[in-house]
Amino acid sequence: MAAMTARQAPGVDRTPRRDPGPTAAEEARIVDPRAVRVGVAAPSGRAGGEAIVIEPPEVPLAPAPHVVGTGILGGISAESIALAEAPDDDDGIAIVDGTAVRARLERLDDVHGVLTVLGDAGPVRTPVLLLPLERHAGPSSGVVRREVVVDGWQVEVEIESERRASLRERARRGREETAHGGPTHVRAIIPGRIVSVSVVPGDPVEAGQQLLVVEAMKMQNELRAPRDGVVSSVSVGVGGTIEVGDLLLVLE
Amino acid sequence: MAARRAAPPFRRVLIANRGEIALRIIRACRELGMEAVAVYSDADASAMHVRLADRAVHIGPSPAIDSYLSIDRVVKAALSTGCDAIHPGYGFLAERSAFARAVEAAGLVFVGPPSGSIQALGDKLQARGFARRAGVPVVPGTLEPARVDRPDEVASIVAQANEIGYPLLVKAAAGGGGRGMRRVAAPADLPAALAAGSREAADAFGDGAVYLEREIIPARHIEVQLLGATGGRVIAIGERDCSIQRRHQKLVEEAPAPGLAPDERRQLHVLAVRVASAAGLVNAATAEFLRAPDGSFYFLEVNTRLQVEHGVTELVSGLDIVREQFWLAAGRALSAEAIAASERAVEPAGHAIEVRIAAEDPSRAFTPTPGIVRRWAMPSGPGVRVDTATAQGDRVPPDYDNLVAKIMVHAGDRPAAIGRLRRALDETEIAGIQTTLPFHRFVARHPAFLEGELSTGWVGDWWDGPAELARATGPALLAAGLDALGHGLATSPVAAASMPPAEGGWPGAGRASGTDRWRP
Repeated sequence: MAAMTARQAPGVDRTPRRDPGPTAAEEARIVDPRAVRVGVAAPSGRAGGEAIVIEPPEVPLAPAPHVVGTGILGGISAESIALAEAPDDDDGIAIVDGTAVRARLERLDDVHGVLTVLGDAGPVRTPVLLLPLERHAGPSSGVVRREVVVDGWQVEVEIESERRASLRERARRGREETAHGGPTHVRAIIPGRIVSVSVVPGDPVEAGQQLLVVEAMKMQNELRAPRDGVVSSVSVGVGGTIEVGDLLLVLE
Repeated sequence: MAARRAAPPFRRVLIANRGEIALRIIRACRELGMEAVAVYSDADASAMHVRLADRAVHIGPSPAIDSYLSIDRVVKAALSTGCDAIHPGYGFLAERSAFARAVEAAGLVFVGPPSGSIQALGDKLQARGFARRAGVPVVPGTLEPARVDRPDEVASIVAQANEIGYPLLVKAAAGGGGRGMRRVAAPADLPAALAAGSREAADAFGDGAVYLEREIIPARHIEVQLLGATGGRVIAIGERDCSIQRRHQKLVEEAPAPGLAPDERRQLHVLAVRVASAAGLVNAATAEFLRAPDGSFYFLEVNTRLQVEHGVTELVSGLDIVREQFWLAAGRALSAEAIAASERAVEPAGHAIEVRIAAEDPSRAFTPTPGIVRRWAMPSGPGVRVDTATAQGDRVPPDYDNLVAKIMVHAGDRPAAIGRLRRALDETEIAGIQTTLPFHRFVARHPAFLEGELSTGWVGDWWDGPAELARATGPALLAAGLDALGHGLATSPVAAASMPPAEGGWPGAGRASGTDRWRP
């Protein structure tokens, strides 16, 4: 199946290296200031928001040796390639999580693109749809949200400058060390109508216990507690209409 | 035949539905020279069925219970616009005998079986009794409603359940589309399943009666399209395999059912006609059966309406079933075309497959995903039929069924139809909402599907939604990242937020030379 090869392309499926924090080697490596971090947007209701870091090829001070084949280019420069002297078929290299990957995105118009990744079995072309998303994390946050469709899957992604993302992360780690175990805000992951609410503020709940029932498109969906805790507030009532992201209740 | 063209079966028809099926029926009206009157709720004020009808009547707010499910408002709309017939489509009021009765009482023609047949066959428990008396095997289970409201009856329900054996299904007597249905694996889960099933059935159908049925697994779900004329003649137009389901709702349907020998096919058609004849079926209906691994057929139920998946039978038989419905409702005998189609039904030529594109996330157990459709391009070309009422920019409302398109393909044989399906799905573009499209792409390439290995457990046996999503996530992140690099996101985040159309992959990359340069 041709589609399978696309999915095994190098650097695409690799386990990201975000946690448990950068290793000494990675710390030592200087990330290109143009690098971007791309992850699955958090409130999409799906698990697995693993981010990747993509850098353009490094720009060398001197001409680099001719690059043969593909794969990890290590410290040497994929680079001159992006400069004028490179043979035509050597462009299209990006550094994904520190590894050189032969991949190129060709935009056909403002929606359509073709991602080409050169894997062991040759180039794999994947048609993609790229759409802007109006919901930003905030106008000045530097996070751009986009919707990318691959093989019919709608993936909401967040794109951020890697420099900014690592600063933000460092700040978050600092905060977490001072405050831990805060309240859990349970939010709607589907829009619909509240059919029943099984808890009131003050109720102790166990992980997996039914909290409320949401009806969407004729199906009744039971919402269960994500963890043990005590209900501190309930923001919705029976018959109410909810949208994705609406606060339903808070667990302490 | 010239007389037919001169006078259509009705002058003006009200379509008591929305979405793609309302369009399907409006189209049949137009082709027959009849005027079509649409009804709509607040959510559907600018819906396609409203735009395509000759007239449209607003019947209430968005919740179906106050609009499309309001018998009173629908009948009034028909009377106030001078209609002489009402076509119910599927879902909503289509199988409510009270609705058919109200239509008949208002002096209008109900395009479907008469209210008596709907009552007799639409109640799953009564239908099971019918089949038993007609000598058609039924799925083992109860024949009386379970008294979920009576705590003192619990012991007797549990005893019946033990006799049937686990796993079993709690099913709604008034049911359809899997609503009110619950699977019970062990006795301890039975009381909760009865309560939940009954509650959902009461909400969906206004009738909380539920019964028990043994779960036959693995089984294939095969159904027979039937037409009946006043006077008692019932014919089978062919069968459909609808085994690939989630939550007991169909996702993929095909005609004919793969792997049936002509004798088995004939036997199945005979069983279906026997049940329907016993119940005095008129107009169109479908008899559903399970096929056990040993090849035996068990009657499940009769749906006294046009089915969502009627199109695959139309493609294979060449018959326009909605058109036939109108003529039958007008009191005509079965048409020569219908009779010819039924004679071909045992050895059909060609193969048709339908996939239901629904607003659901197949990586999250097919959870509903209503929202705004931001990109919408449907396939076309030889042998492709798309029934949809969705367009780019539309909002898929959370109030109704989440079917957004039916993509059907038709070809000379099953392998050719599957190839055509793969091609059609490759052409399909949807953004803004997650749909079942990736699931169908998976099915169309899966060896078990290619081999015709079909079962109602197919989704559970083969589909790993999160894993399939993960395979697409890598390329999606890579594409988004490469696009952002090309726009200098990191150096100018605010400007990048507007994301103008790209000029190339990234600076310096020669895009103009095309994508095949890496090919040997």
